[in-house]
Amino acid sequence: MRKVLGVIAAVALTVTAAAFVERARAQGGGTIEVEVRYQGAPVVEDIKVNKDVEVCGKEKKIEKIVVGPNKGLLHALAWVTDAKGPTTSKPVSLDQKGCEFHPRVLAMMPGEIDILNSDGILHNIHTFSTANPTINKAQPKFKKVLKEKLEKPEIVRVQCDVHSWMQGWIAVVPNPFFGVTDDRGATKVENVPPGKHTLEVWHPLLAKQTKEVEVKPGQTVKVAFELKK
Amino acid sequence: MVAPGAHAATGDANAGKILYDRRCAPCHGIKGDGNGPAAELLDPRPRDFTSGIFKIRTTSTKAPSDQDLFNVITTGMPGTYMPAWGELSERDRWNLVGYVKTFAPDRFKEASKPQELPKEVGPSPESLKRGKEMFEAIECNKCHGTEGRADGPSRPELKDDWGHPIKPANLTQRWNFRGGPARQDIAMRLATGVNGTPMPSFIDSVEKPEDIWHVANYVASLGPASPNYATLVTAEAAAGALPDDPDVVFWKTMPPENIALVGQVTIDPRNFDPSIDMVAVRAAYNDKEIAFHLTWDDATQSLPDPAKQVFADAVSVQLPLTIAAGPERPYFLMGNDAEGVYLLRWENGRGVTEATANGPTKVTPTPGSEATGRAVFRNGQYRLVMKRALVRKDAPPLTPGVFVPIAFQAWDGGAGETGPKMSLTSWYYLRLEEPQSNRRFVVPPLVALLTGVAMVLIVRTARRWTPNA
Repeated sequence: MRKVLGVIAAVALTVTAAAFVERARAQGGGTIEVEVRYQGAPVVEDIKVNKDVEVCGKEKKIEKIVVGPNKGLLHALAWVTDAKGPTTSKPVSLDQKGCEFHPRVLAMMPGEIDILNSDGILHNIHTFSTANPTINKAQPKFKKVLKEKLEKPEIVRVQCDVHSWMQGWIAVVPNPFFGVTDDRGATKVENVPPGKHTLEVWHPLLAKQTKEVEVKPGQTVKVAFELKK
Repeated sequence: MVAPGAHAATGDANAGKILYDRRCAPCHGIKGDGNGPAAELLDPRPRDFTSGIFKIRTTSTKAPSDQDLFNVITTGMPGTYMPAWGELSERDRWNLVGYVKTFAPDRFKEASKPQELPKEVGPSPESLKRGKEMFEAIECNKCHGTEGRADGPSRPELKDDWGHPIKPANLTQRWNFRGGPARQDIAMRLATGVNGTPMPSFIDSVEKPEDIWHVANYVASLGPASPNYATLVTAEAAAGALPDDPDVVFWKTMPPENIALVGQVTIDPRNFDPSIDMVAVRAAYNDKEIAFHLTWDDATQSLPDPAKQVFADAVSVQLPLTIAAGPERPYFLMGNDAEGVYLLRWENGRGVTEATANGPTKVTPTPGSEATGRAVFRNGQYRLVMKRALVRKDAPPLTPGVFVPIAFQAWDGGAGETGPKMSLTSWYYLRLEEPQSNRRFVVPPLVALLTGVAMVLIVRTARRWTPNA
């Protein structure tokens, strides 16, 4: 009897869950395909390293503005500024590897972040922020993970003072509708609630831009940006 | 440091403002933004109170406690232009705390929580050993240098939160620690970090919690709590040769006199942020020569490179050309046209030379100088021996027992110091110790013997003399 009840319960649950997913999909949002271009020249700084060369390398290329072959801009954040969505955040991590932040631009929802030290040398996580409390914590070689919280939406700059060329950005976005561009300058924002929205594109060194988009259920809308200094 | 006072809870911001505008605004600015009229000349720059970021705190929250602010006002910030305001009444100081907080009210909304430290560990040899291990494991050397002399490889890159270059602390000079030199102060700085600077918090970043104390104990062991500045240099009489090598036992066993140097701010270009603030001096002489052994910290060993605004590191010992019987001495700043000075100099890349000077820009090298010497640079420190003949025709006689005026100058070429841009002292004194004769083995025992005899006689006389006999 118990078994039968169990099976019935399981089936009922599955059906209900499936129905929910179906409804979500039916009502569901659309997709925004964002393409960000930059016509200017890439900005790269060459740095001679005077410490930890076995980990960092003797020379570092600091790629500040990376432009792909089709003028696509890497590491631009695209986000819908006026949509509301689920507030549960996914676990995110920022790694320090080869004396660089990976990824250089990270987007997350308010919540926890794991800061990893794959290098096995001293780094320090020094954040520059206004809404969130600033963090400046040492992460010596034996401290593989630092668990931190960024709970207020804003763009936080991260720096390692030991290796001052290490600069990164953590965009804390109040909703899940964001993406960071790949080396073709492309990213996708999915499950955006239908309606008219404002899409903002931000890059650490370029002027940000916004565009109005209309999202229709189950459809994909393409938006192109061209960022300037 | 200072016990909470009766006025702690009653700091009156309005009363504080009146005092602030008069005493604090010249550096920190009327608006509290750290941009007072004097700010441009100061390094480290005055605090920008509007940021609400404070270096010294004993809290686990981001803002300091009222007591932390009160303590900084009371004791000042060693190694900076922030003086101690203990002369103000306690009530005035609490009123200033009240007013300073109004520049960043949001920062002080949250109630401050004290930073908990693990149970205190004393500075036992085991603790120092563990502290050194941890000092190396957490790589304090990256900024503070292998031996703590602020010469780590990251030094040139360091900036504060406002983008101004900032130097790491020289851990061998803890009298300059902004938050105090005690082991407890150091442990607290390690735990909280120093806000607004690259110095991070280590409370969660040591292997075991008590390591905070081991590292603090080790850092405290790197140098004395106070430099005990001297004003007199005594040259020891040596029987044999004076060694050129600054690292030999002869010099190491001789206690140094620490001489304080200040920036030259009398003539242009002035040096408001001198790099070298102390030279440790040892001296010895024999019947032929006199030698000076100088030790000073310099983060970089520099040779001249005008393109980079880098010059040769240098140091000089200054003596008058003639020794007057009275208090008259040449102008301390390398003499003037009326009266010159003698200089025994060392310059990186050039070695030891002699010169006379009638001011910082009128230096004449002495022809045919036979002065010699040797310098060693290691882990952010120079050690140098300079020697010259004891008796000279063109220099003042150095007679044992006679006080001779002496002054010092130093240049950190890596920090752009050259010419008048230097650190220096006013006149101090050099005294050649009188050679010890064999009479010291005869006279004191003789005095002791005579005293003994006299005492016995007195006792005997007293015993023989009886009242009412």
